[in-house]
Amino acid sequence: MPEEPEFVQLLTPEGERVEHPSFAFDGDDEMIASMYRDLVLTRRIDTEATALQRQGELGIWASLLGQEAAQIGSARALRPQDFAFPTYREHGVAWCKGIDPVALLSLFRGVDQGSWNPLETNFGLYTIVIGAQTLHATGYAMGVQRDGAVGTGDDDRDTAVVAYFGDGATSQGDVNEAFIWASVFNAPVVFFCQNNQWAISEPIDRQTRIPLYQRASGFGFPGLRVDGNDVLACHAVTKAATQRAREGSGPTLIEAFTYRMGAHTTSDDPTRYRLSGDLEHWKLKDPLARVHAYLTRHAGLAEDFFADIEAESDVLAHRIREGCVAMADPHVLGIFDKVYAEQTEELAAQQAGYAAYLDTFETQTGAHA
Amino acid sequence: MSTITLAKALNDGLRASMEGDAKVVVMGEDVGKLGGVFRVTDGLQKDFGEDRVIDTPLSESGIIGTAVGLAMRGYRPVCEIQFDGFVYPAYDQIVSQVAKLHFRSGGRLPMPIVIRIPFGGGIGAVEHHSESPEAQFAHTAGLKVVACSNAADAYWMIQQAIACDDPVVFLEPKRRYWEKANLDREAAPAPLLSSKVVRDGTDVTVLAYGPMVKTCLESAIAAAEGGTSIEVIDLRTLSPLDLEPVYASVRRTGRVVVVHEAVVNLGIGAEVAARITEQCFYALESPVLRVGGFDTPYPPSRIEEEYLPDLDRVLDAVDRSLAY
Amino acid sequence: MTLKEFKLPDVGEGLTEAEIVGWRVKPGDTVRVNDIVVEIETAKSLVELPCPYAGTVADLLVAEGETVLVGTPIIAVAPEGADVPSPQPAAEAGVDEAAAALAAQPSAPDDVAGDGVVEAGLIGGAAPGGRTSVLVGYGPRTTEAKRRPRKGAAAPDGEPLTPSPEGPAGRVLAKPPVRKLAKDLGVNLLAVTPSGLGGVITRSDVEALAGAPSPRAGTPPGTSAAPVRPGGETRIPVKGVRKMTAEAMVRSAFTAPHVTEWLTLDVTRMVELVERLKADREFADVRVSPLLVVAKAVCLAVRRTPELNATWDESAQEIVLKHGVNLGIAAATPRGLVVPNIVGADAMGLHDLAAALGELVGIARDGRTQPAQMAGGTFTITNVGVFGVDAGTPILNPGETGILALGSVSRRPWVVDGPDGEQVVPRWVTTLALSFDHRVVDGAQGSRFLADVGRLLSDPATAMLY
Repeated sequence: MPEEPEFVQLLTPEGERVEHPSFAFDGDDEMIASMYRDLVLTRRIDTEATALQRQGELGIWASLLGQEAAQIGSARALRPQDFAFPTYREHGVAWCKGIDPVALLSLFRGVDQGSWNPLETNFGLYTIVIGAQTLHATGYAMGVQRDGAVGTGDDDRDTAVVAYFGDGATSQGDVNEAFIWASVFNAPVVFFCQNNQWAISEPIDRQTRIPLYQRASGFGFPGLRVDGNDVLACHAVTKAATQRAREGSGPTLIEAFTYRMGAHTTSDDPTRYRLSGDLEHWKLKDPLARVHAYLTRHAGLAEDFFADIEAESDVLAHRIREGCVAMADPHVLGIFDKVYAEQTEELAAQQAGYAAYLDTFETQTGAHA
Repeated sequence: MSTITLAKALNDGLRASMEGDAKVVVMGEDVGKLGGVFRVTDGLQKDFGEDRVIDTPLSESGIIGTAVGLAMRGYRPVCEIQFDGFVYPAYDQIVSQVAKLHFRSGGRLPMPIVIRIPFGGGIGAVEHHSESPEAQFAHTAGLKVVACSNAADAYWMIQQAIACDDPVVFLEPKRRYWEKANLDREAAPAPLLSSKVVRDGTDVTVLAYGPMVKTCLESAIAAAEGGTSIEVIDLRTLSPLDLEPVYASVRRTGRVVVVHEAVVNLGIGAEVAARITEQCFYALESPVLRVGGFDTPYPPSRIEEEYLPDLDRVLDAVDRSLAY
Repeated sequence: MTLKEFKLPDVGEGLTEAEIVGWRVKPGDTVRVNDIVVEIETAKSLVELPCPYAGTVADLLVAEGETVLVGTPIIAVAPEGADVPSPQPAAEAGVDEAAAALAAQPSAPDDVAGDGVVEAGLIGGAAPGGRTSVLVGYGPRTTEAKRRPRKGAAAPDGEPLTPSPEGPAGRVLAKPPVRKLAKDLGVNLLAVTPSGLGGVITRSDVEALAGAPSPRAGTPPGTSAAPVRPGGETRIPVKGVRKMTAEAMVRSAFTAPHVTEWLTLDVTRMVELVERLKADREFADVRVSPLLVVAKAVCLAVRRTPELNATWDESAQEIVLKHGVNLGIAAATPRGLVVPNIVGADAMGLHDLAAALGELVGIARDGRTQPAQMAGGTFTITNVGVFGVDAGTPILNPGETGILALGSVSRRPWVVDGPDGEQVVPRWVTTLALSFDHRVVDGAQGSRFLADVGRLLSDPATAMLY
């Protein structure tokens, strides 16, 4: 792995704009400020959820610390009709798609297994089986093709699909099969891989011997690598890739080169398998810091702008905490209702039998303690 | 005699097998450097090296498929599938290849592969981490399927499974990884494919395996306070089943309840019930009852305690059996 | 305004207390949620605790250097604004339970590598609520061996506590063990009045009708008592062993001319011999009974009158004298009368004969007699004595020429010639009844055979003459 990899970058870690021959950020400073707000709030959601897990309010939390720019940058490039298929760490994409952060928590709290409506939000449910969603995204894209929502020239109709996944996922059969299908059918899907260098304890060289973006050429479609900590570059490449898909030019693989600053989940202990020096190295490339620097130095934004966002993030954090703790546990009898489109007689009988059984106890326990 | 957790007992057993046979290879996701997400393989890579303790790419099908090749080359792979819900990408390799190769090669290609799978619920986990797929494997000819329930059994059974020339799906009750038991390393262990009476009783026979054994033992304690004497049998081996001790028990008690986390419908309990009815018909004072999961996917973790069979559900079945 | 107290949360590692090492805040400081307020020491490491409340520190309740129990309030915070309720972290709520759970064993979290204890929050370490930390969820919790209390007389699972059995009209309701018992006792379930709930026939219902406990082996079958109900009738289908037995009886009775001769004997010496053998160590592992001695006597007597151990071959028009004695013993089994035979009984010593007899009887009683064991018999003994019956007129086993019925051995008055003349004294007395095929065996032969058997029983020493 080269020390400084080749990738698309438009904003340096120090906060300076740079140019790239093939990609440009087409937004203004107001948009950058708006994206900065997204970055800060996303990070705050993540921090609060991590604390909530430590206090036992969540069973687990998959932190996106360090990956904010990859998610905000790519998600902000999506049009409302574009559909995104996440893994279980895309809290920044969820934020941009309008999912209430409290709604994200219910899965991790163990209250339900996905509380938003994917068909209304164009954001898939979190998928914990690694890589499965890439096939779902490809199939969805094939549906888009059959609906004639590709290549019409209408920006509000032509639809792109984005499949998010990590570096570890690229070793799964499903992901490679998705690449084959997407290329063979020329499906309008963008494969957005956040290479955060780690799959729990296994480093990227356990998953690949070549830069991940180069895989695409083997499957027959373009791939590129972007600085995953550069929100402007991520936005630019995603916009370009989704445009390609919309036009009917087929799939693209984007490898967002970033780093998982936190642990895999909250009880993972990264000190067992990686060096603290790596972490220090990546802290210098922090996605938020460089935007902060740019906005201060070049966009003329003063301290009150940043203070307002901090205050807003405090309020958001508080609301998340309140919302999390107030979440009611589901009733166990509800599990019999939605197994099938129509409840079977057998399930109805099991439900009634269990209800009668529960009724024989003096106190009803919410058995979770 | 030492007191040891189930996870540590597995660790010690793996270590003993690796020391005893240089062909034993451990492979899986995060098993090497990290020592496994439950620390079951902790320290093994440090002592036996990266060639024998392999951190694999994130690819379950790859883990099992390459194990087939390693086995053909004379190695004894001990594969880890990180969680039960993630075994399915590997399912094809397991049932189409691992299970069948000895048979279709006329015995020329033995598959001495162990597939370790932490299984079952009760750890408050997100989706796909609390499954009980054992019946699917027990239903597949060519595989052996065992489930340890405690540290002492775990220590011996993992070694025996590794030494077995047939493929073994080795199920580990993840909610019991930190349960301690006494382990006598000098004792002669029971055969791998044997069931065991773990508590004597006279009124009802209760059968369980894996995580439910402890639940049933606790049930027996509670039942004793009420004057009912429960005999608990740990099945230990699901394929092949060892039911002679069960038949002997049922002929004494006349009543039997089978308990597992897995869905009742078409679970292990169904096969056990059919066989008991055939072999012990004249001894049965009541029908064979089963306690297990409902016909729904595993629920969100906040209500899993109400979904999983617990002491009250087991004893409710015992009561119903006695009422006949 | 009420102060919020932060209690020392569960720190795991099997400990129930921790030392306050250093406060990071002082009274009057403003704190926000998740600010680190204190450092505590556990067995292995220092742990920083984040504050679950926002507000102003009102009081530090425990001094640095002090060790307190889990659940002890350590800091009081005045919440900012009256309308900002701060939630209790789950760690607090679970604290008492956690302490109890840790005391309950055996799930104290431990470092699985065996190096020592694991830091709270890491794999295998403590998690809030008395659980153990895992990568993917809340972690497992401990359970208690206690039932949850139920309301009143509860109906489990919505079913009545005593299930009401259903059965098609005209069928009896009885559990498998009761059905087996009925079969063994020869009781027809249709004749039993059920006393169990829901019309289920119980064990005692069957036993009441059968009267006695299960008969011993060697008893003739056909004891299915179908008591006559006044003005009614009971119909039993003819099938299985019953059918075969009936056919054999007909074949035998209406083919071979049967003659039955009787002999009543004083068998006191035989009874004494039986007692002596029972006490003999060599015979400790077998069953010794009058039947055994009769079996031996028959084998010896056949030597003098082999016509009793023969068959009438109608097609060849020959009488076939069999050289060995395959001694059949009529036995009542769960399925009816069977007559398995001991092959080569005449060549066996008494001990071996006893063993063979015991095995044959055991197998028959279990209903496991195989057809092969019933073929090739040459002579049959039927023991009617176990029923307390004096004698009978047995029907020949088809193809055989002799069958001996042994009656009960009981105390009866007997004329004994003693030094003081004739006296009537109680002796062990039995009656033998020998039926034979009069085509093969004539009266003299039959009588001689019967007399020989009788003499062997009344004076076993005469066995020496053979």
